[in-house]
Amino acid sequence: MRNDDVLLDNCLKCSDCNMACPVVKVHPAFPGPKRLGPELERLRREGIHCDTEWVEYCLSCDRCDLACPNQVNVSELIARAKGAHEKPFVRKWRDILLARPELLGKLGQVAPRITNFFLGSKPVRLLLSKFMKITPERSLPAYNKSPLRVTKTAVNQGERVVFFPGCFIQYNQPELGCRVLQLLQLNGFEPELANPGCCGMPSLANGDPEEARKCAQAIVNSMMEAIDAGARIVTACSSCGLMLKTGFAHMLEGDAELAKKADKIAANTFDLAELLVAQQDAGKLNTHFALPINKLKLAYHAPCHQRAQGIGRPWYNLLRQVPGVEIEDLNAGCCGMGGTYGFKEEKHTVSMEVGSELFAGIRASAPQAVVTECATCQMQIEHGTGVRVVHPADILLNALCDCCNRLPLEIDLNTVSDSYVL
Amino acid sequence: MRNVASNHFDLIVAGAGISGITSAAAAASRGLQVALVSSAPGSFVFGAGCVEIDHMDRNTPSLAEALEFFRNLSQLAECGFRGGLEEKRYIPTIMGCFQTVSLAPFYMWNGDPSAANQVVVVGIRGLSSFDSSFVADRLAYHAGKLGRATTYTAHEINLSTAAGTLPGTLQFGNRYDRDPRFREEVRDALLSIAAKADLVILPGILGLKSRNSEIERLENQLDCMICELPTLPPSIPGMRLFNRLEAHLRRVGVEFFTGFPIQQLQIENGHCQGVLLDTPARPLELTSETLILATGPFSGKLLGATFAGVNQDLQPIHAKGSVIADNLFAVGAILRNCSARNLNATAILTGYVGGMLAARVGVQYA
Repeated sequence: MRNDDVLLDNCLKCSDCNMACPVVKVHPAFPGPKRLGPELERLRREGIHCDTEWVEYCLSCDRCDLACPNQVNVSELIARAKGAHEKPFVRKWRDILLARPELLGKLGQVAPRITNFFLGSKPVRLLLSKFMKITPERSLPAYNKSPLRVTKTAVNQGERVVFFPGCFIQYNQPELGCRVLQLLQLNGFEPELANPGCCGMPSLANGDPEEARKCAQAIVNSMMEAIDAGARIVTACSSCGLMLKTGFAHMLEGDAELAKKADKIAANTFDLAELLVAQQDAGKLNTHFALPINKLKLAYHAPCHQRAQGIGRPWYNLLRQVPGVEIEDLNAGCCGMGGTYGFKEEKHTVSMEVGSELFAGIRASAPQAVVTECATCQMQIEHGTGVRVVHPADILLNALCDCCNRLPLEIDLNTVSDSYVL
Repeated sequence: MRNVASNHFDLIVAGAGISGITSAAAAASRGLQVALVSSAPGSFVFGAGCVEIDHMDRNTPSLAEALEFFRNLSQLAECGFRGGLEEKRYIPTIMGCFQTVSLAPFYMWNGDPSAANQVVVVGIRGLSSFDSSFVADRLAYHAGKLGRATTYTAHEINLSTAAGTLPGTLQFGNRYDRDPRFREEVRDALLSIAAKADLVILPGILGLKSRNSEIERLENQLDCMICELPTLPPSIPGMRLFNRLEAHLRRVGVEFFTGFPIQQLQIENGHCQGVLLDTPARPLELTSETLILATGPFSGKLLGATFAGVNQDLQPIHAKGSVIADNLFAVGAILRNCSARNLNATAILTGYVGGMLAARVGVQYA
């Protein structure tokens, strides 16, 4: 786990981190977290130049942090080295763009049909490959024509919660955002939508800590009013959730006031499933499942950033209680997508190799659909297996869909469809 | 609908070393809903799970039962151990000496000098952590001292490495798991050597996930016994053991909370409500009816300054002799009477007894 108070010297070189690293598994030349983190950090702190391109190959999955028996913040050390790493021109500019999904989302939504057409056409992809080093092997996520927006909320008199959708739900999957809001309503919350903004995780993973800091600052400032009024923040994307919980305070530590606010944000951020489990413990979970439910065979993949939050397996445990659902926890490691990592031409092969164990696990399980809460895991699994992937909120809402017609929430979105019905 | 998503359990076991795993398995086998919390995978990275009982009283209550339970557990987890309370073997180490062992994974159990006349110690060219000549010379010397006429010869094989890398056990272990061609390469490299030997001793490289049956298949292909020795960390056979035991516990419904140390035991009025885990944003609170502490030799501070060992029911006590909490047990290396020599045997014994006590099964200890 991340623990910034822990000394570098806590590293005992036991190699548990190397054993847990998905890149080490498939790419023996990768020096591994032990070397790139604590070992080189000792030299870096002495001012010795030891920049290496290998830091770029870190997936930022945080599995090394979880494996460390002595709580060394290995991934944080590598992320810092990534920030200082000098990249060649083309990769540098590509990564500057990939570090800004919010900007890309805003551009993409100006004319989504044209954008999607171009991003899907072969010649454009070949040009992107040649000049931007973005792999033509996998399709890029399509932009939705209207962003997630809530126009009117009927008074629900439930607990006020602020849903932080993150870039992917905001710009690519707004219909998922609607369903998250519906699910919150059905469980007695009064949800509202946070101001759009990027959590900064993509910037951090692409070696742009300054941009990540700006994201963090913007979110902290826009969220404080709701937090001070006693609202909690809900995330449905595991990377956004992890960032809000762990990343901000560290990035904003230079400014005592902001850091204090960031701590408050962290303490009040909850994964959607975390909230639902708490509702169940309080006997308030909506379990009015529509009947009859057809038998549904699912396989669950826990995203790395879900594991890193230390909340157990709330989605898996919620879904396996739904009548008619048969769900298996794949527990087959990292999917290899690493957010934007898998889009990078030079890393596509490594990304797919990392995912191969998970793909094999899915094929062996042969589910009707895979369930995972991370949008980029979803892209990778669909790319690697062709099996349909859905967000767990989809499954839970679908099981409750009888109630969906009676929702008090109006959503300004032309594209809300019932395509999630399996 | 039954609430399985709740963070309340029948039993929380803290620590995923050999004692914690044994406790969790014992309690789960009696139908308890168990959570296993750990900050990392025990000390498997340093060893291979050999169990010495030579320095213990073999008539210790419950010892035979505990060892039998662990042997069955290892079989269910497809990493079967051989041996038992009355058995004793001499198992080689990478330092070329023998340790006296009563229970071990079969691929170590094989290493006893009485089981073979012709032994080849196989090194891998470029692998710095295993010197086959050194191991062979020393084993021959020590086998002589034990009165065995076994001959040890050293041999080196070449194994391919990924471009730009030096040979390393982790690389070989990972490739053995993932790449069928590498498995063939290992088999082919050993074929001619194994033809002239009864036993091949090699550094631990045969996969981090391999089932026993997969290593037995290699033995059958070579028509020769294999003894695999753990090298410097990371120990591939040790991690294999952990991976197999973990997979088994998951199958039987144990819920894992991995990667987060215990911040605090929640003890009030002599009763332990549960634990707070040091998780991001805020501590994760897990509650349970019973709690077993298997957190290793350096974790006594969790029990406070007055912790002074355990009573005969494995309950931690204050210096004055009163129990710290009525539903709390301590097992494994946190017990101060654990000596380094019989560490794994004590871990299995106390782990088993703790798990059974948590399940309210009458067992006797000490």
